[in-house]
Amino acid sequence: MATSHEKGTFFALSYEAKYSDTPAFKFFVIANAIVTVYAFLVLFIPSESQLWGLVLALDLVFTMLLISSISAALAVAQVGKKGNSSAGWLPVCGQVTKYCNQVTGALVAGFIAIITYIILLLYSIYTFLNPLLGKNG
Amino acid sequence: MKKSSSLDALARSRRSKKWVLLTVRVIAFLATATATLVMALNKETKTLVVAMVGSTPIKVTLTAKFQHTPAFVFFVIANGMASFHNLMMIMVELFGQKLDYKGLRLAMIAILDMVTSTVALISGGASAATFMAEVGKNGNSHARWNKICDKFETYCDRGGVAIIASSAGLILMLIITAMSIFKLLNKPNSVSS
Repeated sequence: MATSHEKGTFFALSYEAKYSDTPAFKFFVIANAIVTVYAFLVLFIPSESQLWGLVLALDLVFTMLLISSISAALAVAQVGKKGNSSAGWLPVCGQVTKYCNQVTGALVAGFIAIITYIILLLYSIYTFLNPLLGKNG
Repeated sequence: MKKSSSLDALARSRRSKKWVLLTVRVIAFLATATATLVMALNKETKTLVVAMVGSTPIKVTLTAKFQHTPAFVFFVIANGMASFHNLMMIMVELFGQKLDYKGLRLAMIAILDMVTSTVALISGGASAATFMAEVGKNGNSHARWNKICDKFETYCDRGGVAIIASSAGLILMLIITAMSIFKLLNKPNSVSS
């Protein structure tokens, strides 16, 4: 289970736009930071320890956290890029191009992290539940 | 004598657990279906006075529909799919005793479906809709996005109700997942049900 994890956090700073302007991006940064720390700690658990059951449950919770954080960040970033004509919200990406590019990069990294985590979650479930099903299968 | 009575008690408790699981699933289905419907029918039309020319006010009719925002469209679709999945699982539990092809596999599929449906769909949809609603409610001064909730109160209120219903559905789906996993873990020790 010692696969490599990949997470994406970002601290986009420019003179006009910071990541903390939107709660959605703040949520994205915090969620990814938490998951990074958790993944780093999990790497050090020796195999055949009793903790792997807890790791499975926490994997599920953190996958959910990651998915919801990237969904929120994507929603707000989409408004920033295309605007919303019905609400009178103008797209912001024209003025702060570098910020937008960095945010896009961070979202891509987050997406890769999610795919990695889903594969990890499926593998954990398969490994954990297979011995139990093998007897009656 | 004692063995058969204890087996009876075990069977009875398992049957009552089955009904509890089914009830929770029905409630979760209602929650996600409510969220879908409330958000899908979310529409408000308002006539605003934009400017005055001489003494006649120019009125503009604005409509707030959920289709304007991709996040809400995703919310409706995600909750719709989750409700459909819940309905399928309820049907399978009620009528699926015939297709008991390795009864354990059924529970396994149910769990995997729940993980996918709960983890990805509902949480993603609820989160995106929540943050879009937050922008609509508070605006964003850095991006010069004005808040719209003060003009379209009913729209905002209904959206809020839909998001709360979806979050309740999410919590219930998590409970269902936990109960199903416990059911799976206890199966090897008892006769097949």
